[in-house]
Amino acid sequence: MSYVEELVSSLGKEKVLTDPSERFVYGADWSPRTPDEFRPPDVVVLPRTTRDVQRIVKIAFAHEIPVTAGGGLTGMLGGAIALYGGIYIDTTTMNSIVEVDQRNQTVRVQAGATLQEVNDAVNPYDLWLPHQPESKWVSTVGSAIACDNDSTFGVRYGKILNCLLSAEIVTGTGEIIELGHRKAHFTSSGYKLKDLLAGSEGTLGIITEATLKLEPIPASRRVDMLVFPRMGAAVDYLSRLLKAGLCIEAAHINCKRRLRFYAHSYVQKFGKEPEIPAWAEALLAIAFAGDQEVVESQRAYALKIAKEFEALPVEERAIVDAWWASKYTLDFEPFKQKWPDSQKQKKFGAADPGVPVGRLEEFYHKFIHVAEKHKLEIIGMNAYLEHPNSIGFSLSCAVFVDYRDPEEVRRFRMFHDELSRLAVSFEGTMSTFMSDTYQKAPYLELEHGPSLKYMREVKRIFDPKGILNPGKKFPKEEHR
Amino acid sequence: MSGLEEFKDELETCFGTSCGFCERGCPVYQTLKIKTLCMRGRNRTMLGLIQGRFEVTPAVVQAAFECTLCGNCDRWCALKNTEHTRAFREYLLEHGVEPMKEHSSIVASIRNYGNPWFQPRSARARWAKGLNIPKASSGQQEVLFFAGCTSAVNKPLNKGLVAGAKLLQKAGIRFATLGQDEPCCGSTLLRVGQKAAFEELVEGNVKRFDELGISRIVTACPGCYTTLKRSLEDRGSKIQVLHLSQEIAQQIRTGRLELRKGREKVTYHDPCHLGRLGGVFEEPREIVKAVAELVEMPNNRYESRCCGAGAGLQSAFPKLSKDLAAKRVAEAKATGAAAIVTSCPFCETQLRTVPGTRVYDLFELIMDSIEGPEGKTGNLGRNRAAQDRSS
Repeated sequence: MSYVEELVSSLGKEKVLTDPSERFVYGADWSPRTPDEFRPPDVVVLPRTTRDVQRIVKIAFAHEIPVTAGGGLTGMLGGAIALYGGIYIDTTTMNSIVEVDQRNQTVRVQAGATLQEVNDAVNPYDLWLPHQPESKWVSTVGSAIACDNDSTFGVRYGKILNCLLSAEIVTGTGEIIELGHRKAHFTSSGYKLKDLLAGSEGTLGIITEATLKLEPIPASRRVDMLVFPRMGAAVDYLSRLLKAGLCIEAAHINCKRRLRFYAHSYVQKFGKEPEIPAWAEALLAIAFAGDQEVVESQRAYALKIAKEFEALPVEERAIVDAWWASKYTLDFEPFKQKWPDSQKQKKFGAADPGVPVGRLEEFYHKFIHVAEKHKLEIIGMNAYLEHPNSIGFSLSCAVFVDYRDPEEVRRFRMFHDELSRLAVSFEGTMSTFMSDTYQKAPYLELEHGPSLKYMREVKRIFDPKGILNPGKKFPKEEHR
Repeated sequence: MSGLEEFKDELETCFGTSCGFCERGCPVYQTLKIKTLCMRGRNRTMLGLIQGRFEVTPAVVQAAFECTLCGNCDRWCALKNTEHTRAFREYLLEHGVEPMKEHSSIVASIRNYGNPWFQPRSARARWAKGLNIPKASSGQQEVLFFAGCTSAVNKPLNKGLVAGAKLLQKAGIRFATLGQDEPCCGSTLLRVGQKAAFEELVEGNVKRFDELGISRIVTACPGCYTTLKRSLEDRGSKIQVLHLSQEIAQQIRTGRLELRKGREKVTYHDPCHLGRLGGVFEEPREIVKAVAELVEMPNNRYESRCCGAGAGLQSAFPKLSKDLAAKRVAEAKATGAAAIVTSCPFCETQLRTVPGTRVYDLFELIMDSIEGPEGKTGNLGRNRAAQDRSS
């Protein structure tokens, strides 16, 4: 019996898609890949339970077939692309809310629930999951963990790992194990294997359920934008706010070019570019949230201090609102959503390095230089604060890429790799929100050195046959 | 260039973007969770097809037709997804795919009887018996009241039409109908991919309207509303097309219709064709608020969820269609409303298939307010009693 026949026999034919047109649909994400590189999975499966996933992996293990799990397919670097074909597991069919524990402020969900579905479920309890990427309507809990993506509110709540208490996975042998510390917020016991899941890209196991920490929904929120003459000045200002003891909910530094992209709905509405002072190089979007009195006092203090840093608030609310709609509320005018409208000719492509806080401005200029060198149209840079109550950036260095032009895709990859390597030389990291995927896999040793050997061993323990998402993190042949 | 080729750039944009925002509000995707049956997946299927990556298979046909064309995906996008899907259906039929058997019979009915309900043409005028509505003749009427086939030939839906006509009479509007000669608007043909038959039908309709000197058409059916409006505008016609709710709301505003407000709590279901695709949201609400307490469902106006009846889904995929209706009714019940009010015969029929649901036609509700015995059971009292008896 072939493995596909076994899948049908084990799961039922309604959970197994084999038609070429169906496989084609599950074969692409948001990453710039040329049509020639496109390879759909050989079969798509739609599990409903952890046991279903276990059955799938056991069949794959027996036949040594690659298994790639995916969620919303909004990844920007091909993390959930079934690079070597095989089985694609669509986890979005596993989207049940297992338990909302109001008293302990936790939720247990199947990993295919979107972040929005989780929030829809917990909202009636006056709780929310603050891990909020722009893709939250589509991005699932499992993929947020496996990709370790960004959150709008990272400076207060951190990334998904800060919310993750426990996770159930199916390993590469088909074993079901729970990693984590139940509903306790932290532990000093054992090795923190749960933490390995963040950014693991489904290479260690397929996440099937997760217990997440929730937060009370703040009663009010104020969002402002400030313009700065330099990026470094915005960094210094944020450092000063934290020193002052303010509790910032969201902080994002945008270069001037990037504002244009994020203010897309403003341009649509008013038919003109947002006007900011000619001298301004950086824009900081900043939010405070909580009881109104607290929010207002913190905001007033923050705006007062801004003067010491040559900063000016953006007075035109429509600019701030357009940016915030793009970043968080997603409240676009009907029929005018930003993403398709802004990518009609070319698509968005980015590198996601991280650099020490004092070298942001220096790295920004390098980004511009590298993008120009590779003849790519620059969208701009964002620095998102992603570590609770400290200045820890993830950087999105974005350009437009025509994915239909192999030569331009090649130049984009050179741009991406050059920035990744540069970040390491800046004493930083190659990746902060997209993970490694196949793109960084060939040169991971540059960042991790001899510790890469230990990573391979970890991989071998969880996935001895190397069937889980092969080609990601390590080139395929290095699995064994 | 085929209709699908025309949208190739948009299909490429969707493929390149991959935002998936269409998934959240898609009633079919949210029920089945199969990406081929949501707009991002459907756009990919179309692209793969015209790129020659695969042949037409039953799965491709399913992707094209298992959709209500409700336009929720369009609300969260900047692409013309609903148009893509229509073109997809046309493409398949042009490339040798047999129409779905349920759709074939509907098309035959429209050809033979002028309606998709297998009812003789004479059935079209029965609803108006005793109302003394004149038949349209050249230059004699202020308004052509276009009843639409669904309400006209299905007896349980006649009441809404009768109410609508009486309201126009009360407001003193000089209107006429086409009686049993009222043609099909073509909505169903357009939505199941029969473009050629649709174009032929519309040409005939426009000619007829022009011969009669029609300057304004008022219709009670949202499908007729969007189809007539669009097809007339596309042909440069100056005929104004209104939905009956727009006309009635105007009469209420100018004081030509006086209504009595009741205390019943009702929710309003936006028909896709009237709301999201037709842009008419507030007039029906003005009317509801004039006669009852309106409570909104979480998904309302542009975000309203489809009842599941549209674009041939009800006939070709009945189980899914019923599931969508049940979901919408559950949303309505969660508001605490005593009844659902809507202004579309398809939605009305579809939502009523869910057991224990009270669904009222907007115009019936108003007539009850005007004619109902004061101080008795309130606006919904008589309707409720009638539905209780019928169930």
